[in-house]
Amino acid sequence: MMLVIVLENTTPRLRGRLTLWLLEIRAGVYVGEYSVKVRDMIWKNVETEFNDGNIQGSAIMIWSARNEIGFDFKVLGENRRIPREMDGIKLISFMPETKVEE
Amino acid sequence: MLPKLKPITIKERFSLLFLERGELDVIDGAFVLVDKNGVRMQIPVGGIACLMLEPGSRVSHAAAVLAAQVGCLLIWVGEAAVRLYSAGQPGGARADRLLYQAQLALDDEARRKVVRKMYEMRFNEKMSEDYSVEQMRGIEGSRVKKLYGLLAKRAGVEWNGRCYDYTDWDSGDLQNKCLSSATSCLYGVTEAAVLAAGYSPAIGFIHTGKPRSFIYDIADLFKFETVVPVAFQVAAKNPSNPERAVRVACRDVFRETRLLKKIIPAIEEVLAAGGLSIPEEPPESLPPAIPNERGLNDAGHRP
Repeated sequence: MMLVIVLENTTPRLRGRLTLWLLEIRAGVYVGEYSVKVRDMIWKNVETEFNDGNIQGSAIMIWSARNEIGFDFKVLGENRRIPREMDGIKLISFMPETKVEE
Repeated sequence: MLPKLKPITIKERFSLLFLERGELDVIDGAFVLVDKNGVRMQIPVGGIACLMLEPGSRVSHAAAVLAAQVGCLLIWVGEAAVRLYSAGQPGGARADRLLYQAQLALDDEARRKVVRKMYEMRFNEKMSEDYSVEQMRGIEGSRVKKLYGLLAKRAGVEWNGRCYDYTDWDSGDLQNKCLSSATSCLYGVTEAAVLAAGYSPAIGFIHTGKPRSFIYDIADLFKFETVVPVAFQVAAKNPSNPERAVRVACRDVFRETRLLKKIIPAIEEVLAAGGLSIPEEPPESLPPAIPNERGLNDAGHRP
C-alpha cells in the first residue's frame, strides 16, 4: 500500500536511512509502496531515532487504508497540529501560537 | 542508534535497475550514485531485487556493505547487460535448502519428477509418466521453436530462429539482440530470487554444467509469458535505443505478471514435485551458539 513519510527537522542519518526504501521527492518527503510489515519496520527506524532524543522536529506517516476516509496516519514529535479522534474519524486540532517567554 | 538493517522479501521489491557512469557510495546512510559533476542520485536499494551495474560504474566498500545488509544483489554486466559477476547477497546461507536441492538432483527418480513438473508448468499440461527426460526435452524443443515463431508472428517481426554469437554482440539480428537483453533481465531477477530463497544457482535439473544452471531452469518457467513477447514487440518498433526499450518493457511485464511474487513459490513448487522433504538436522548436531534473528527476509537472505 502506498505510504508517505514527512520529516521536519530531524537527523541526516534518519533521512539517509529512509531513502533505502523510499524516494525522497522533496526535502523530508518520502514516498513508497510496501506491506504493513515493511511499513512498520520503516516507522520503527523513525521511532528509534526520536526515542534517542536530540530531535526537536516531527515526523508523520500517511498510508492508504481500507477505512472510510481511505487513509490513516501516525505522528511523532512536537507540532502545533495535533490529531484528534472524532467518533472514529481523525481530525486535526491546530493549536494557537504560544508566546515565547523573554 | 538506528535499528539494524535487515532485508525485506523479494516479493515486496521492484525488479531491477541499471546504473552506469558514476560512483556508488554511502552518504548519511543513503545509497547514492554520484556522477562526475557531483550530482547525487539516491537509490532505494532496500526496495530493489537486483542492481545491474554497467561499464563506467564504481562501487565503494561502504556501498557494497550496505547492499549486502539490505539484501540487494549486485550484478556487474558488460555490453548489452551480459552478466559478468555478482555479489552483495551471496548464496549458500541455508545448508538445509542446499542439501534438499542437491538430494533432489542426485536422486534419479526425484530429478525426473522435478523435470516433469518444470515442463508441466511451462506448457500448462500433464506430461505422461512414461516419457523419459530425453523425450520431454524433444517435445520441449519443438514446442519452443513453434512458440518463438508464433510470438514473432504475433508481434509482426521476421523470425529465422534463435541464433547468436555470445562472443560477438553485433553479429546478431535485432530480434535476437532484443531477446538476449530481455533474457538477461529475467536471469538477473531470477538469480536474486533463487539466492533469496536459499538455493544454489549451479545445481540445475534440465540445465546442467553451468554456474547458473538452476537460474536457467527457473527463468524458463516464465520466459515465454514475459520476456520473449516483450523482446519481439520492441524489435517490431525498431527503436533507436533497443536495449533501453527492452529494459523498460521488461520491467513493465514483470510488474504486470507479478513475477517477483511468483518466482519463489514456483521454485518451491517444482522442487516439492520431487517428493522428498527438506532434510532435518541430525539429532547429534550442535545448534548455533547465537540463535539466528528472524526478520522480514526470505529464507536465504543472511539476516
